[in-house]
Amino acid sequence: MKEISLNILDIAENSVKAGASLTEITVTENDERLALTVRDNGCGMTEETLKSVTNPFYTTRTTRKVGMGLPLLKMEAEQTGGSLEITSVPQSEDSVKHGTCVTAVFNKKHIDYTPLGDVVSSIVTLIQGHPDTDFLFTHINGNRTVALDTRELRTVLEDVPLNSYEVLDWIKNYLRKEENK
Amino acid sequence: MTVNELLNHGFNAVSLPEPEREITGVYIGDLLSWVMGRAKASDAWITIMSNENILAVAALADTACIITAEHVEISDSVKNTAELKGINILSFDGSAYDAAVKLHGLI
Repeated sequence: MKEISLNILDIAENSVKAGASLTEITVTENDERLALTVRDNGCGMTEETLKSVTNPFYTTRTTRKVGMGLPLLKMEAEQTGGSLEITSVPQSEDSVKHGTCVTAVFNKKHIDYTPLGDVVSSIVTLIQGHPDTDFLFTHINGNRTVALDTRELRTVLEDVPLNSYEVLDWIKNYLRKEENK
Repeated sequence: MTVNELLNHGFNAVSLPEPEREITGVYIGDLLSWVMGRAKASDAWITIMSNENILAVAALADTACIITAEHVEISDSVKNTAELKGINILSFDGSAYDAAVKLHGLI
């Protein structure tokens, strides 16, 4: 994809589809390297499923035969000399600590590295599409940290839905300001 | 024109499970997520990418064939999967531009 932030959307959608109540999206970068981690507490995968998720012809969708989210992320990370790692604990194995963790590492100095892009839009889009699940977004860049936790927002907002226009607009402006500090 | 007719014009067969597929257009691109949404059904898709993901993109977009330009090598495992999934692959020694020019005169 032209931006890593578009991959974030794709991968986090998998988490929501897996029934996650909390999806943690963490971007950690310095001048050399960017690591993207999407960790969820969804239903997880068996070892057998885990083996096939980077196969482009594997998908959990029923509408088409091909799932490209993880295969593309893997390819893009590896093209920069980086890597993709996925670990998962299925609900059937552990009813408490189940979930999936996807980590992609990119070498930013590689010519085929695509920039992070508009990560704020991706986060806002996720919250807009899934106002009833929680997201924890953390962007660590050198010694700067930007964070947004929808669980905190929820306690302040009480009954106001997270996908109301005013809330989304506030989130967007808050994240943009923090990202540009 | 059909995919197997290209074999007489400097294109080489890598995988040809559906030789009679009709080609009605051409698309050139290497950023797979981009190609996925833009290549049209029955296009000949010219690329320099060669990993397994190109097969999924070709299946999604329902292209007539993949043409790998610049003499890009296709691994046996990709070749086998292509046969299995009904994806045509041809190779071309020249650049994507050369391949497109050639196709322009043919279709």
